Amino acid sequence: MPATPRSNRNRIILIVIVIVCVTLVTLYVRESETGPLHDIQNFFVDMVSPLSSSFSKIFRPIKDGFVNLFHLPSLSRQKEELQKEVASLRRQGVESKELEAQVKELKRLLNWTEQRPEYETVAADIVGQSPDNWQRLMIVNKGSSDGVKKYMSVVTEEGLVGRTIAVGSNSSVVQLITDSRSGIGARDLRNRETGILEGRNEETLRLVPMNDDAVMQVGDGVETSGLGLTCPPGITIGRVYKVTKREKGMSRLVEVRPFVKFSQLSKVLIIIMPEPEKAILKEAE
Amino acid sequence: MSRRRQVFLGCSLLLVFILQLAVIPQFKILGVQPDLILVLAVVVAVQDGPVEGAIIGFIGGMMLDLASHQVVGVGAFSKALAALFAGLLKDFFMTYSILLPVLLVFLASIFELSLHQLALMMLGQEQLPPFKLVGLVLPAALFNVLTVFVVYTILKRFRFPLKEESMIVTRIGGS
Repeated sequence: MPATPRSNRNRIILIVIVIVCVTLVTLYVRESETGPLHDIQNFFVDMVSPLSSSFSKIFRPIKDGFVNLFHLPSLSRQKEELQKEVASLRRQGVESKELEAQVKELKRLLNWTEQRPEYETVAADIVGQSPDNWQRLMIVNKGSSDGVKKYMSVVTEEGLVGRTIAVGSNSSVVQLITDSRSGIGARDLRNRETGILEGRNEETLRLVPMNDDAVMQVGDGVETSGLGLTCPPGITIGRVYKVTKREKGMSRLVEVRPFVKFSQLSKVLIIIMPEPEKAILKEAE
Repeated sequence: MSRRRQVFLGCSLLLVFILQLAVIPQFKILGVQPDLILVLAVVVAVQDGPVEGAIIGFIGGMMLDLASHQVVGVGAFSKALAALFAGLLKDFFMTYSILLPVLLVFLASIFELSLHQLALMMLGQEQLPPFKLVGLVLPAALFNVLTVFVVYTILKRFRFPLKEESMIVTRIGGS
C-alpha cells in the first residue's frame, strides 16, 4: 500500500525529532561546561528563575495550606502535644521564677541572721493573711514545735514585721506592726528619743514620743528601742514620713512609713527569745 | 490542524510550561509531581494526531531540559516518543470515552519516565535502583492521570476545526 503524503510528513518529522534529540544529547554530554549548549541552558535558567521565584512566593500560602491539608491528622496530634509541652514549660517557668524569688528571699534572710549572730532565728513561710479589713495579721508555718512562743518578734532583712500573738504546734499568727492593736517601743535614730509606735490599720504607723517636746523630723530613721523586753533593740522599722504640728491642744502626729513591703512578703524570720510573755508580765507588774 | 488551533496549543504549552516550572513543584505529594507537559502532549496526540503530540512533547521537553539543568534533549526525546507512542496506540481503540486518554496518559507516563531514567542512566547522569524507579514511576503516572480530565476537557473545548471539517460535521449532523 503506497504511503500517503501525511504519513510521509509524519515520518520525516519523527526522524527529525529523533536525530535532533540524539545530536543535542551527544553534543551536550561531550561539550565542556562553557560550551554553547550549556551557555544557552544557563541563559534560559537565568531567564526563567525570576518567574519561578515570584510564582513560588505567590503560591507559598496555597502550598502551605495544601501541605497542611494532607498532614491535618498528624498536625492536630502535634498541636495537642505542643500545647501540653507549652503548658508544662509555662508551669516550669512559673515554678522556677518562684524558686528564684524564694532563693533571693532566703539569701536576704540568711544575710540578716549572719549580721546578727546573737539572735537565734527560725525561718517561716507565710501561709495566710488576715481574712478581713479590720486586722493586719499573717499566718506562718512555724509553731511551738519549732520553738516559737507568743510575743516573739518577726523580722525580714528590711526590718520589723510584727510579733506572734497566737502559737499553734505548727503555725503561728503574726500581728503586723501596722495592725491597730500593735504597739512597739521605738527610737528615733537621729536624736535617740524614744516612743511608742502604734499601728493604724494603714500603710503608715504613728509614733508617739515619750517626750512631748522631742524634735522629730521628716526622714529620721526609726528602730526598735528594746523597751518592753519582747522586741530586741536595734531592729530597723522605717522612716518618719510626715510630722503634723500640734494645734489647739491636739497632740502632734508623727507618721512613720515602714521599710517592709507587707504585700510582697513570703518568708520571715522569727527571733527566738527565752520567755517573752513572762518578760511582758514582769514589765507590767 | 487550523492556524487558530496551532496558536491555542502554543499558548497552552507556554502556560503549562510556566505552571510546570513554578507552580507544580509546590504541590508534590509523596515526593512526586504531575508532568503537565507530558499530559498535554499525550492529549494533543489523542485529539490531533501522534506527530502533533510528538512536536508538543519535543518543544515542551526541550524547554524543561533547558530550564531545569538536565541533559538537553533527553526530556524532549522521551516526551516526544511517549506522545507518539500514545497517539499510535489510540488507533487500536474504537472509543471516544474520556477513559481512553486516561489510559493512554497512564501508559505514556510509565513509558516516558522509564525511558527518561534509562537514558540518564546510560549517560551516567543518574543511578536509580529499580525498586525506587517503580516507587517513583507509578505514583507519578497516577498523578498525571488526575490532571487528564482538566487538560482533555479544555483542549476539546477549543478544537477550532478547519472549514472543511466543520462542513463535514454539519452535513453529517443535518442528514
